[in-house]
Amino acid sequence: MNKTKGESWIYFFLGLACFLIPGAVAVFIAYDRGISFAPVFMFAGIVIWGGLFWLFPFIEKKVRKSQKKITFDERDQLIHKKAVMAAYVVLWLYFVAACVITWCVVGPHGSISVNVMPLTLLGGLVIFTLAQGLATLIQYGRGGKDGEE
Amino acid sequence: MAKNELNNQVRRLRFEHGQMTQQQLADKVGVTRQTIIAIESGKYAPSLPLAFRIARTFGVPIEQVFVYDNEL
Repeated sequence: MNKTKGESWIYFFLGLACFLIPGAVAVFIAYDRGISFAPVFMFAGIVIWGGLFWLFPFIEKKVRKSQKKITFDERDQLIHKKAVMAAYVVLWLYFVAACVITWCVVGPHGSISVNVMPLTLLGGLVIFTLAQGLATLIQYGRGGKDGEE
Repeated sequence: MAKNELNNQVRRLRFEHGQMTQQQLADKVGVTRQTIIAIESGKYAPSLPLAFRIARTFGVPIEQVFVYDNEL
């Protein structure tokens, strides 16, 4: 498993975790409507996403600095580029869906909480991460026919 | 429907050059072993500079390594 593929697995599972944790919190909030955990949840989400997801490559780069072995080449670069493009498409579809669904749910004369805006943005970031990781893994073929044994 | 395919002789040339391993070739041309595997299996078409580096490693012209088949 090369560097990019390893990172993609991490991105994928981090993205998935960022979905599952807020999902569980949302269920809890729906169950207990008396107290709103939205600000706490948002803060936790940003810390998890921003801290772990963004800092990991820098930490990993520091650790691997001493190694001179080639771990990233033109093929990895091409795969990364395609994955980012795919993630942008998914992100765009997500924002379109978020807008349309909100309009359908609250109606043309309804109103929504301002908390929905940062939550939508956070969801977009997570969706982007998840889609990029998944697209990268699909392009690597999960190591099957590439014979990365 | 046109079928374009880039065939290569990398695997054969490796064995003709003292049973060179994929890792050895990868180190010489500056890519990962996975990329060599992908090139040999025809899953990835290398860039022109990389194709030249592979050909020079084997000491042969590029057209002896990569053959473009254009079947109409």
